[in-house]
Formats: sequence, C-alpha cells, structure tokens
Amino acid sequence: MKDKLRSILTVCKNKIKTGSRSLIASAGFKSVISSLLCIAAGILVGFVILLILAITSDKIPVSDAFEGIWIILEGPFASGSAQNIAFVLGDMFFEAAPLLLTGLSVAIAFKTGLFNIGAPGQYLMGAMGSVIVALAIPTTPATAFWVWLLALIVGMLCGMLWGLIPGLFKAFLNVNEVIVCIMSNWIAANVVSWVFSENKQFINTQGGKTAYTLPTTANGVSTPKLGLDKLFPGSNIDIGIFLAIFIAIGIYILMNKTTLGYELKACGHNKNAAKYAGMNEKRNIMLSMAIAGGLAALGASFYYLNGGAELAWNTYGKLPDNGFNGIPVALLASNNPIGVIFSSMFLRFIDKGGYNLAGFTAYNEYVSDLIIAVIIYFAGFSMLIKGMLAKIKIKAKEVPVTETSTETVGSDPVTGAEEVADTPIVEEITKEEEDV
Amino acid sequence: MSDIIREEAVKTECESPYVIEMIGITKEFPGIIANDNITLQLRRGEIHALLGENGAGKSTLMSVLFGLYQPEKGEIRKNGEVVTIKDPNDANALGIGMVHQHFKLVDVFTVLDNIILGVEPNTAGFLRKKQARERVIELSKTYGLNVDPDALVENITVGMQQRTEILKMLYRDNEILIFDEPTAVLTPQEIDELMAVMRGLAKEGKSILFITHKLNEIMAVADRCSVLRKGKYIGTVNIADTTKEELSNMMVGRDVKFVVDKGEPTPGEVVLEIDKMSVRGSHGKKNAVNDVSLKVREGEIVCIAGIDGNGQTEFVHALTGLVRVDSGSIKLLGEDVTAKSIRYRNTHGMSHIPEDRHKHGLVLDYTLEENMVLQRYFEPKFQKGGFIRFDAVREYAEGLIENFDVRSGQGPVTLSRSMSGGNQQKAIVAREMDREHKLLIAVQPTRGLDVGAIEYIHDQIVSSRDKGTAVLLVSLELDEVMSLSDRILVMYEGEIVGELDPKTTTVQELGLYMSGAKRWGREVQKNEG
Repeated sequence: MKDKLRSILTVCKNKIKTGSRSLIASAGFKSVISSLLCIAAGILVGFVILLILAITSDKIPVSDAFEGIWIILEGPFASGSAQNIAFVLGDMFFEAAPLLLTGLSVAIAFKTGLFNIGAPGQYLMGAMGSVIVALAIPTTPATAFWVWLLALIVGMLCGMLWGLIPGLFKAFLNVNEVIVCIMSNWIAANVVSWVFSENKQFINTQGGKTAYTLPTTANGVSTPKLGLDKLFPGSNIDIGIFLAIFIAIGIYILMNKTTLGYELKACGHNKNAAKYAGMNEKRNIMLSMAIAGGLAALGASFYYLNGGAELAWNTYGKLPDNGFNGIPVALLASNNPIGVIFSSMFLRFIDKGGYNLAGFTAYNEYVSDLIIAVIIYFAGFSMLIKGMLAKIKIKAKEVPVTETSTETVGSDPVTGAEEVADTPIVEEITKEEEDV
Repeated sequence: MSDIIREEAVKTECESPYVIEMIGITKEFPGIIANDNITLQLRRGEIHALLGENGAGKSTLMSVLFGLYQPEKGEIRKNGEVVTIKDPNDANALGIGMVHQHFKLVDVFTVLDNIILGVEPNTAGFLRKKQARERVIELSKTYGLNVDPDALVENITVGMQQRTEILKMLYRDNEILIFDEPTAVLTPQEIDELMAVMRGLAKEGKSILFITHKLNEIMAVADRCSVLRKGKYIGTVNIADTTKEELSNMMVGRDVKFVVDKGEPTPGEVVLEIDKMSVRGSHGKKNAVNDVSLKVREGEIVCIAGIDGNGQTEFVHALTGLVRVDSGSIKLLGEDVTAKSIRYRNTHGMSHIPEDRHKHGLVLDYTLEENMVLQRYFEPKFQKGGFIRFDAVREYAEGLIENFDVRSGQGPVTLSRSMSGGNQQKAIVAREMDREHKLLIAVQPTRGLDVGAIEYIHDQIVSSRDKGTAVLLVSLELDEVMSLSDRILVMYEGEIVGELDPKTTTVQELGLYMSGAKRWGREVQKNEG
C-alpha cells in the first residue's frame, strides 16, 4: 500500500515538474495546488501534534506517531480485513453524500457573493421535513418509493424556505446574511426539537431510549440501494452518493452554462452592474439562498432517508457537523461544484483514517478527532494560499501593471485574495509607505 | 541613441543640473517590454510633464523610480550620483514624494494629523503637536497652500485634500514631487489654483514630475515634457518651443484632431421627454434633482454641463431606472417609462454608458465576451432553452472587438479586470452603441482616457447622432461640452439653470452658469420645447 501511494506521488511530482506552462498558469491548476498544499500543511501539523503527544505521554510509544499519521493517510484502507475495508468504504461513500451537498450549498452561495453559514439550520429543517413525511404517510411496498421521493422533495423545500429567510433579509433590508443565518440556525434547532417533542409518535422508544426518531425503514421507506449493499456488505451505502454527484454536475452546468447561472454570478460579482444591466438583483439573492438551502437540506434528506441513520431530534443544544463542515469542503474545492465531489470524499476518507487511528494505536478517539479537526481547519486556508500563490507569481514574474484609472475596485469577501494581482500599483506604493 | 545619452550623462556627472535622472531604463515583462530604454532627466526647480497614452509605460517607470520594480537595464542617478532604489523606503529617503490621483488620507483625522502621520514628533512617546502645527502653518504660508490644520479631512473640499497631500510631502522635506494625474478630480477653479501652487513650488527649488494626459495643462504649467509611447521614449521637448498638436502627435504617433468633426444637427422627432422630474437626495434634506424638464430629439447631442455633484449622477440614475423618481415623468419615444424596470428601458431603446465603469459598467470578474452580452444574454440569439450559446457570444464579442478596436491580452476571454481603463471604456461604448437604441445616455464617456481614445469615442457618438440617435451627454469636461454638443443645458444644484448654444457661447459664460453666478429664468426652458 505504502509503495503504491509513493509511486503515485512520484508520478504526480514528475507530472508537476514537466507540466506545461499554460497548465501552471491556469486558475484551476492554482486552485488544485493550493488545496493540496493546505492538505499537506494540515497533515504535517497533525503529525507534529501526534509526535508531541507521543513524546510527552509515557502511554504512547513514539513509533505510534509515525504509524498513526500513516493510518490517517490510508483512510478506510487501514481497516484491516478486506471485509472490514469494504464495510468502511461503503460507509465512507454513504456519509460523503450529505457532506457533498452541504459543501455544494456553501459553494454556490460563495459563487454568488453570499456566505451561507446557515447550512446547519437548513440541514436540520430538511431532516425534519423528510423524516416526518417518510414516517407519517402509511406505505405499501408499491407506494414506498413514491413516499421516499415525496419525503426527499419536502425536505428540500423545507431547506429552501429556510435559506430564503436570510435571502429576504439581505435583498430587502440589506441585513448581512451571516447574522440572519446564524440566528436561523438556532431557530431551526429549536423548531426541530419542539416539533418532535409535540409529536411523540415519530420517536423511537425501543429499549427505553427516546433520543432518536424512528428510522424511516419503520415505515418501509428508504433510499434505493440497487445492490450496492452487496458490493460493500454491512455498510449503509445507497444510491444517495450517486444522486449527490449527479446534483453536483447539475449545479456545475447551472452555474456555468445557463442564463440563470450567468445572472446569479453577475449579481455575486457586482450587484450594481447586475442592476444596471436590468437583472433583478433582489430576486437573484433570494434565489441563490433558496438553492443553497435546498442543497443543504437534500444532504440531510439523503442521510436520514437511508433508513440506517436515526435523527437525534433533541437538537436545541447542538448543530449538525455536516452543516458546518460544508464550509471547509467548499473552500477546499475553491467553490467549484465538481471540486466539491472530491473534497467531500477526501474529508470522509481522512475521517475514516481518524477512526482507525483510535482503533489501531494508543491514541484515543479525542486525539483522532483533534487531528481531523486540524486537517479540516487547514483546508479552510485554501483561498489564502491561492492568494499567496498569485502574489508569489507576481513577485517572480512581475506582471505588468495596466495603467487603469485607479478607481477603487470592488472587493469580494470570498475572492478578495485574487484581487491582489490586480491592485493598481499606486495602491501598493502607499501600502508600503504607510508601513514605514 | 542610448550611447549618446550615456555620454551626456558622463559629461554632466561632475556638476549635474539634474536632480533625478533615469537613464536607459529597460523593464521587461513576459511578452511585453513595458519600458524600452527610457531616459528621463528632471532638472532642479523645473516642472517636467510625463505624457503618454494609457499603457505607454508611465506607471512602470514611476514604479521603477519608487523601487517597486528593478529594471533589467539602466540606472537612476540623484544629483549625478548613481543610486539604487530597492524599495519605497529608499525612494522616501532620497526625497521622492508622490501625490496620488486618489488621496491617501484618513477621513476622520484632522489635516494636521494626516500630515504628521508616520513622522509624528514626540518626546518619550508623547505627541508634540505644537511644533508640527507651526511648521505646517509656515509651510502652507510659504507655498500658498491654504488649509485649516484643525479641520477634519472628511469635511474639506477635494482641492483642500489635495493641498493636504502636498503639505504631507513638503513636511517630509521631499524635494522631488510627483503628481499623478492631479487634476482629474478638481473643478476648473481648483485646477487654476493647483497650477499656481505648482509654479510656486518650482520657484522655491522643488522639482516636479507631472503625469497627465491633458495637453492644455502641460502647455499651461510645464517647462519641459517627456513623451512615452508604447513603452518607448519618444523625446523631450521644451514647452516654449512646442505646440499642443506636436505633443499629441508625439504621444499618439499620428495627428489628432481636437475639434470634433461634425456637421449640422438635423433634429427630428422627440425621443426623450422629461417633465418636471424631481429626485430626492441621499440625505433626504433637499431634492438632488429638482423640477427638471427637457427634451432630446433624434439626431442631436444635448449636453448636461455642470460641476461634479450638482445632481447629474442622480438625474441619470433616475432616468435609467437605477433610482426611483419622486415626481414628474419620463417619456421614451412617447411612452411613459417612469415606473418601468431597467430591463424594460434597456430593451425599448435606451442605451447607457455609465459614469462609473467599474461600479456599473462591467462585471470585472467576467471575461470581455461575458460583459459584451450583459444586457442581451437572454435574447434568443444568445440562449436556447436557458442555456447560453457560448459560440454565438464568442462570435458577437469578436465582431465588437474588431469593429470597435478593443485591445486586450487574450481577446474575448480576457478577464475584464485585467484590461486597461481605456479599453474597458471602449468595450462599454462598443456594447452600448451596438445595442438597438434610439437614445444614448453617455455619462463622462471619456473620463480618464487619452486623446486618441477620446477622439475615437467622440467620433462614435457623432456618427451615432448622424444615424438618428438622440444623444444625452453628461460631462464635466468643458472642452468636451463645447466641442461635442449641439445644445448645452447647465445643471446647478439639481436644476437646469440655462440653455446655451455652443456656437455662440464662451467657456467663461458657461463657467458662470456652472458656478451658479448666472441663471436664466424658467421661461427659457419652456421655450426650448
């Protein structure tokens, strides 16, 4: 395994070395490189932490630090027997689907100039909508599929509605979407707790526990598996991951090929120019947020309609990780919908590695959570590194500065880093002057 | 050529009349030579203009002087001695200071605080403002720079802010003063004052480098002028021995006509009719546009003249639908569009070259071709079933780029942000001219452009008029107002205070109306319809 990875690495290295100039110059390449650098930095810091823990603790042998980081890098493949690997891999794909969709939710909002930090709330609303529909409508084997589909759609609509709220505030009252999103997260958390506490029939009371809702399979509703469970025996895998990938491709097409995507992006880049061009910028802000909300909610719908996962309904004190983790997923992918497919997979891959770390070394599960958190944290720096790469390139190549009239250039909170390349030179002069 | 200059330099080394010399500067970027063997010699106590089109290499040259770029070839000398300038700190230490086009002041600080910022006089960390204050007052008296040291920057005029910037340089004992397009933001009166200040500074022994496109200003104030064109040094001339025509020829490489070539207007049907339009100001106190009525006919260019900030921006925004009209009506081709959307106006005969090309005119992060269809992407020509027909967009953009000579690095796929200001403006003009329109609203269409581009855009506007378009021009440039328009309406404090005929009026008379010193009665406006 190690040798295989190593050979892949050397191939990659050679490819980078011999890569054509145009490839290096392209923005996409810069994004990929910065993402890889982030991952490398995260792993390095994670390793240092493991090493420090091993050195300072007499319970952990130093050799475990080396073995531990390797286990993390191997992800599900460090799970031991082939059967175990298949099981963990299957679960990895299953769990990647919701992360992919929340990542997509954050990414599309970023692309349109909005910061959707409300994904956890939208996710919860989607979970609630889907679970209630899936449990409330009695099914026969013939109608189960249609109830599943309805549950999926209702979940998505709940999320769209929840995303629309910050969109409305932003569009009509110019209230920052971050503030409304954060508040709507907690409102969602309490709404979900309240709805289920008032509707005890959905709660799983088997074995005296009351913390979870019934699995949707209790009503015969679950996402089709199409034999994937045979391929990855024992795991929860279903077609959700394929649908999620399909949606990501759809979003890519929407954003890059359609008039709607053209409008949404124009509004995100420059609201004033969009208005000048006759676009309805208020409608577009609301639409962006609704689409983002619907995507986050779909993530939850896929997760809880699987039948294997039960919703911890008492959510008033805690927001779902899948919602927040959409942010690093989006950042790691530079907000590219196709990139989100890979970044969500990567996060789940590392996640499984962390799980194995606790299983196979002397580190406990808290340490593995910590290491995973560090890697995810560094993933968030992708934009920063991208900006730095652009800057380094300027220093090295000294791209000529066009003599534009130095009107102030609108800055976008997300892509701001890229603008470094284009700041008129006069600005730079002063910056340095002011440093004196 | 370079050898001759070198010889000259060697000769003058012992006792150099030049305070700063940049000799044989060559700076290359991948694919482009931004500065090709450029020599610039600044004499002590002279005003030296640096003239060149957008992209001629002026900024690069100044960046080399400031140590931001290291030249491949060439050297910089101060008082005849070779110096190396590695970063802006070195430049400051050599007494080089710069007034930027857009000021670098802290709005909520006083003038005095801004001047001493970074070099605060102190004793053991405690500010000693008193002596700084005296020095600033003394400096402002010496050079005729009238400012109130205790006023907050946000409360003073643009002209005073500029004087604050100049004082900042003087306070730091800079002796080489660079002015980067200093007149772009000033009123005609403030420009005159600035010219006087510059002459005073030169008389006191300061050396001034004056970067500009405006030939009139060079003729008025400079002693010598160096011209750059496409990265090459064209020459240095004594202003006393040259003419405006010669300078523009050197800058553009061909003869440029200053008089707009246009025939008599043939006004036809009324295209735009505004009746008693009022727009509330942003602070709610006073109407920004008050009771304005006017008509624009096909085949004529009507110009709204006025000093910046007299309601022109609000007027155009209301006209184009960006802000709501409070009272009155707007009729486009006989149809009341007062309450119609921007898109409706766009698709029913209105074209708009906006005042601020970065804020409204372009999505800077879109490519050139994407910007070319900013108001048209939804037309059947450019989309099918909601999918953009990128091949059609490309073809259309390529056509516009060719017809309107929009220059960019990578053609249709160039990121708009990376284009020069002049070509960004050309792209907007191309887009707005090519759209089907009966009314063209052009707001400051040539702001910040060089003479070549100005000539081009003026020609386009005139030919558009001759094809029967009604043109409403809003401009702050008196030259443009006088040469381009068929009728002039003067706007002062949100009202139309007079109508003038460019053939019979003078700049002085126009100035009186613009400053509010003179106004005609309302009956003039009524007669005009």
